[in-house]
Amino acid sequence: MHPALGVLAEAARRPNDHARRWKAKTGRKVVGSFPMHFPAEVVHASGAMPVVLQESDDPITVGGAGMYPFFCGYTRSVVDQASKGDFDYVDAIMFGDHCVQILSAADIVRNRLPETQVGFYQLIPSLRDKWSLENSMRALDRLIEGIEETLGVTITEDDLRASIREFNENRQLIRRLYELRRTGAIRLRASHMQHIVKSSMVMDKAEHNALLRQIVDSVEPGADTLGGGLPVYVSGHLCQAPKPAVLDMIEDCGAVIVDDDLYHGYRYISMDMDETGDPVKAIANWYLNRNFGAPCPTRLDPGIDWDGWLLKAVDACGAKGMIVLMAKFCEPHYFYYPRIRKAFQVADVPHLLIETEHEMLGLENMRTKVETFVEVARRRGTPQRIAS
Amino acid sequence: MNIAVADQQIKRANRLKATKLNNRMVTDYWDDLFKAKEEGRLVCWYEGVAINPILQAADIAWCHGEAMSALLAARNEEGPAQEAAEEFGYDRELCSYARTHIGCGVLTQNSTPESVSDLPRDSEVRKGLAARVPAPDMIISAYPFCSTGQQWDDMLYRQFGKKVPIFNISLPWIWGNKPSAKYMSGPEYREAVAFLVQQLRECITFIEGITGKKFDHDRLREIMGYIKRAAEIKVEAMRLCKAKPSPASFFEWTNSIAPVNFLPGGPDIVNYFEIKKAEIQERVDNGVGSAPVEKYRLFWDGIMNWNKIGWLADKFAGYDSCIVAGRYTHMGFWHETEVIDLDDPLDGMAQNYLTCPISISAPQMVDKIVEHCEYYELDGLILHGARTCRAFSYPQFLIAEGVGKRLGLPVAMFEGDMVDESFYKDELVNSRVEAMLEQIEARRARSM
Ligand code: SF4
Ligand code: SF4
Repeated sequence: MHPALGVLAEAARRPNDHARRWKAKTGRKVVGSFPMHFPAEVVHASGAMPVVLQESDDPITVGGAGMYPFFCGYTRSVVDQASKGDFDYVDAIMFGDHCVQILSAADIVRNRLPETQVGFYQLIPSLRDKWSLENSMRALDRLIEGIEETLGVTITEDDLRASIREFNENRQLIRRLYELRRTGAIRLRASHMQHIVKSSMVMDKAEHNALLRQIVDSVEPGADTLGGGLPVYVSGHLCQAPKPAVLDMIEDCGAVIVDDDLYHGYRYISMDMDETGDPVKAIANWYLNRNFGAPCPTRLDPGIDWDGWLLKAVDACGAKGMIVLMAKFCEPHYFYYPRIRKAFQVADVPHLLIETEHEMLGLENMRTKVETFVEVARRRGTPQRIAS
Repeated sequence: MNIAVADQQIKRANRLKATKLNNRMVTDYWDDLFKAKEEGRLVCWYEGVAINPILQAADIAWCHGEAMSALLAARNEEGPAQEAAEEFGYDRELCSYARTHIGCGVLTQNSTPESVSDLPRDSEVRKGLAARVPAPDMIISAYPFCSTGQQWDDMLYRQFGKKVPIFNISLPWIWGNKPSAKYMSGPEYREAVAFLVQQLRECITFIEGITGKKFDHDRLREIMGYIKRAAEIKVEAMRLCKAKPSPASFFEWTNSIAPVNFLPGGPDIVNYFEIKKAEIQERVDNGVGSAPVEKYRLFWDGIMNWNKIGWLADKFAGYDSCIVAGRYTHMGFWHETEVIDLDDPLDGMAQNYLTCPISISAPQMVDKIVEHCEYYELDGLILHGARTCRAFSYPQFLIAEGVGKRLGLPVAMFEGDMVDESFYKDELVNSRVEAMLEQIEARRARSM
């Protein structure tokens, strides 16, 4: 493993510890946010470090007395961490997302952290209405005011533009790694890619960019590194990162994950922001256009079909099938999955559904399913091409 | 002290006679809706807040998704629709209202032949009440707080092959970033109201585009006049339940949701609440309670369990208890009548939508519940955690803690659901309720 990757993996594994250390070292502030569409550039422009609060591997203990067990693992874990004091390093939490479970968790987190400002600046979930841009810009203005007031700073347009540039560079570097993997020029396991993306959510961007550059620069043009593995696409798992052990298990079963739309994956870095002009408008447009980079089932966008988009994405990366990772109780995903299943059945592209739980039960059972899937997909050969 | 289970099975709650009138009005409404297509009327499907006055003013027939699902459950006819949704692949953990209503969508798709291929065509499930709902000519999505509601509409839109025009209203959630944010006041609240009013105006333009007719604002004012009056009488009648014993229960109020949720705004709904209020007043005058014996006065938090309304009413009567008030019934459905200005009703309508029981976040919600518990002099809280309605169930730990801390009231928390009976476990409910009643007794003994 490249030493830079080791640093990223460590931050990804223990995000709270990493951010706490960063804060102690720099004396600067840290602002947490919830997934999946929060424009962290705005926090960065204030001089604070934005951190996307992550699901932890710890079993849910104290948080169980704050939330029913029929909520998704991400939200239960966040409530648990807040209840145990794991977010003690966070100076404020700002968020704008909309899934009912995130909002529920946020209200409980606010209650559990009475000393911390938890600010909500709702980004309109309906992306194509006449007023979507105007309303998103208003929400962003309010967010900027909220950060300025809470942290006692002023955020200028130039600050915002500088942050946008830094974030764009970060996204571009990660996308470069995705390309290198797809072409086989670099061998990075899917769990390594997750470390890269997840660490980007919790680390100082300049530091992250420097480490990414080292990794990209170290790539030597080489032969195909798929090593005979079956190329597969992985979709789903929204706010929470799939456990690296699940990704490793898939790749240990003879598959290679060549592309994905995971939030802790391509979804996070799929779109850049405009670096010129009005930065608030640029951020609003980025938000409203994110569905073109990777459709999100928590947004309303009548023109976009996640199912059809996935068929094309699978085709484009040369995958021979798709594995859907679905977090238990994730309603937005539950709503869309039947359409995805149907589209893949009609197009005759192999696909497999794996439901995951926070408690990470049944890895062996999953392995049997994946082994069978890989065997079937391999026998099937190249799936029928998808009409574009 | 031991609260005997055996006792609770032999008593029955005193039903209000007015409920029969309500049931007749509801039946008439559905019969009328089922005929809408034959009569050449346009039909709108919607969920969430009560936008029906706007549809009524435009002569459009309306089907409220939750009402449809609740009706099916109350008549034990939810099975076919739920099976149809399951057959299409919707997980059981998804909002059961949405699943049931989308199932109705699946069953009524005969009228959109292009997307019928998704359906269990020859299946038995095509029969029954669910299949009689006329297919929509338009969908209006206006769901407070809960993203599931918006997605439910989006799924219907896709289910009907994107052929049915949809209009999305995005309702801001009332969170309160600043100390200036108070219940129904402060700049954040006013900004949310203004945004909602803007969208309601756009919605009216959308409707005009579909009907090809100018929207009749006078008609809307008239309709809202009836709704406002009916809701005022409802609130007055509710307040009479401060009397001991309480003349009506939460279950009677759930039975009265239709007239202030989706029945047409007109003299009938005013008349209904006048009759109901008079009956309640008569009970107060004669000291008649909803429960034959009232030893405990309780609050119900959470959405209703529609398969079990009558049964639950008797169950609690059997415990010598009356559930006097609830978040679902007492904190929504045109509960803030005074802000409805009949000259320009949209602002007041928006305010009622934005203060419904799931649209305000926990701090304001807990304050309101405390107010109700104090006004009605309640002894404990039932927290029905509807498994597939996370929007309603999430704040219940905060309510238990908040109300517990301020008033010291014990709670009974249990899982159930609004229209999926399989999530309800009776033995668990019994033990939780009995434990709470024992705590109430212990509290009373301590204060003697
Ligand atoms: S989108 Fe899914 S994973 Fe994210 S908070 Fe909602 S339910 Fe949980
Ligand atoms: S989960 Fe509850 S609030 Fe949300 S759509 Fe379903 S019934 Fe409505």
